[in-house]
Amino acid sequence: MKVALMSFAHTHASSYARLLAARTDVEVLTSDPDAGERPAGESGGAALAAELGVAYVDSYDELLAWGPDAVVVCSENVRHRAHVEAAAAAGAAVLCEKPLATSVADAEAMEAACAAAGVPLMVAFPVRFSPVFVDLREQHAAGALGRIHALSGTNNGQVPAARAWFTDPALAGGGAVTDHTVHLADLADALLGGVPAVRVHATANRLLHPSLEVETAGIVTVTYADGTNLTIDCSWSRPASHSVWGGLTMSVVSDAGLVDVDPFAPRVSGWSETDATELWLGYGPNLDDLMLSAFLDAVRDGTRPQPGGRVGVRTTAIVEAAYRSLRECRAVDVETAGSMAVTAG
Amino acid sequence: MTTVGMLGAGGIATMHIASWLRLGVDVLVHSLEGADELVARHGRGEVVGSLDELLSRSDLVDVCTPTHTHRALVEAAAAAGKDVVCEKPLARTVEDTEAMIEACRRAGVALHPAHVVRFFPEYSVMHDAVARGRLGDLAVQRYDRHGTAPGPGWFRDEGLSGGIVMDLMIHDLDFARWNAGPVASVRAVRSGAEGSGTVAANVVLTHRSGSISSVGGVWSAGPVAFRTRFEVAGTGGLLRHDSADNPVTWTNGGSTPDRDGYAPKVAMGESPYLTELREFLAATRGGPTPRVTAQDGLEAVRIAQAALQSLVVDDAVSLEDAR
Repeated sequence: MKVALMSFAHTHASSYARLLAARTDVEVLTSDPDAGERPAGESGGAALAAELGVAYVDSYDELLAWGPDAVVVCSENVRHRAHVEAAAAAGAAVLCEKPLATSVADAEAMEAACAAAGVPLMVAFPVRFSPVFVDLREQHAAGALGRIHALSGTNNGQVPAARAWFTDPALAGGGAVTDHTVHLADLADALLGGVPAVRVHATANRLLHPSLEVETAGIVTVTYADGTNLTIDCSWSRPASHSVWGGLTMSVVSDAGLVDVDPFAPRVSGWSETDATELWLGYGPNLDDLMLSAFLDAVRDGTRPQPGGRVGVRTTAIVEAAYRSLRECRAVDVETAGSMAVTAG
Repeated sequence: MTTVGMLGAGGIATMHIASWLRLGVDVLVHSLEGADELVARHGRGEVVGSLDELLSRSDLVDVCTPTHTHRALVEAAAAAGKDVVCEKPLARTVEDTEAMIEACRRAGVALHPAHVVRFFPEYSVMHDAVARGRLGDLAVQRYDRHGTAPGPGWFRDEGLSGGIVMDLMIHDLDFARWNAGPVASVRAVRSGAEGSGTVAANVVLTHRSGSISSVGGVWSAGPVAFRTRFEVAGTGGLLRHDSADNPVTWTNGGSTPDRDGYAPKVAMGESPYLTELREFLAATRGGPTPRVTAQDGLEAVRIAQAALQSLVVDDAVSLEDAR
């Protein structure tokens, strides 16, 4: 199978490239033509491809002319739409980095483009592939939790420093609310079976990094159509000097009591005298690897990979509503996302 | 010798009487029910048959009754010229709380709201670090408080207790404000399928400083271990605590219901209730102002009342609107 990687803009691109390069069942080709726009010192282009051990071409036209079966889009958030549409037009199955888009209009257009081209669209939400979450979801599906009443989650991290575009509203679409709301929104979507969000409130500030143009701390409250509430702390509140980027946790309140899951809990911890910092050696499974495998298996089998474009639209709708809530300083209704139910998921 | 007159003999009175006795004061108890049992369980204290007798014989009155009775009892204590400790929330509404504060002011007596979480050592050391600036400017705080739902009765009657927000979550609403200052607006949500008995609520605060806080509370229908946790992050770093993560002993194979063996005491160190009541008692004897004041108690009620209004209107509520 031929797999193309569009752009090294997102920090996850390096992880995907290494994983793809290590596989024996795929050929990999990459392109990162916008690398020159990045600030001096940021990696990219042919040099990064060489470092990652993957083949490289200079333009997306060459990349897509290669005839890839699948394309992984890792560009800046606002460029996802153009790149997904180009990949779909080339007849490739698409895995798009999260968030799918920075507006519901873009997300729906991307979903429509993939549907029109007859190619599947998957959104890169790796946490839903963590074994602890898979187990939670399966046990809930089997009725072990009874009814879920409330969810809360944390997705805290360091302010993204390796790539300046994450904190450039023109390229990212926003800050912490854009970057860190959607993982938990995806997990809630999976647990609740795709029930749409109906009401959203958000509050945010830039107190941790006042020189940035985007919010760096935020709390988003989502009410779903079935009455379940979800509270997300999406803050980039992990200190920059911390030895670990951040993490994600989810708490579930159900008829069966309280369940907490922490996909990043498996770790050996200690202290480094050399580096004067905490040692934190995660030994959990590589979630990117599990997600990529699910995507490639679906492409190979001709099945529809999940989470699909519909999940991308629903999670984008929550973020869009959160920004409307921030602008209007009130709780807002979620614009009904999606007239076109082209995919089930 | 100081005499403390306790009103009420329920759950919180059990915690208070043990602490009062440790502090060496004489304890009187008056309650519609349970006073004899409370005193018998602790081996000291005297049951008195009327409110008037309790007020006339006490130096300090400790109101441990259901929330909806606080105002009348605090006003009676103030009219009798006695300093008052009153369990949280001070009252069910801002209006009642303001009336209680005014009655105590006019009578020249102190009113001490028993926001005991300010005296829990893990919370206390965290606040001290915040107050000393070790975390810099606070940007985001998270608090959770989960426990088994109280049984049927006034706790579950929102009209009487204010429900989970006013009764349980007010601890953390107070604490978030203690750390990050006045609150500008409040958004609350509450779920819980009708009839299931489990209630889960979340209150988000936007402080006037721009700092933000999330406070979660759960009353679980099924029995669960009581658990609290917090994470507080600022420009200078962050602090977190989870009551489930900090056991000072862990046993595996010790005592079981059918077998004697090693069983660690449930709590180590000084009871936060003892710390709290010692501070109130010292103030009554002319000592320093306690770490929590009647005004703090009023502001906590104001935030909780705004949260309840947020539930009704399903929108954010500004504190000014909530007045």
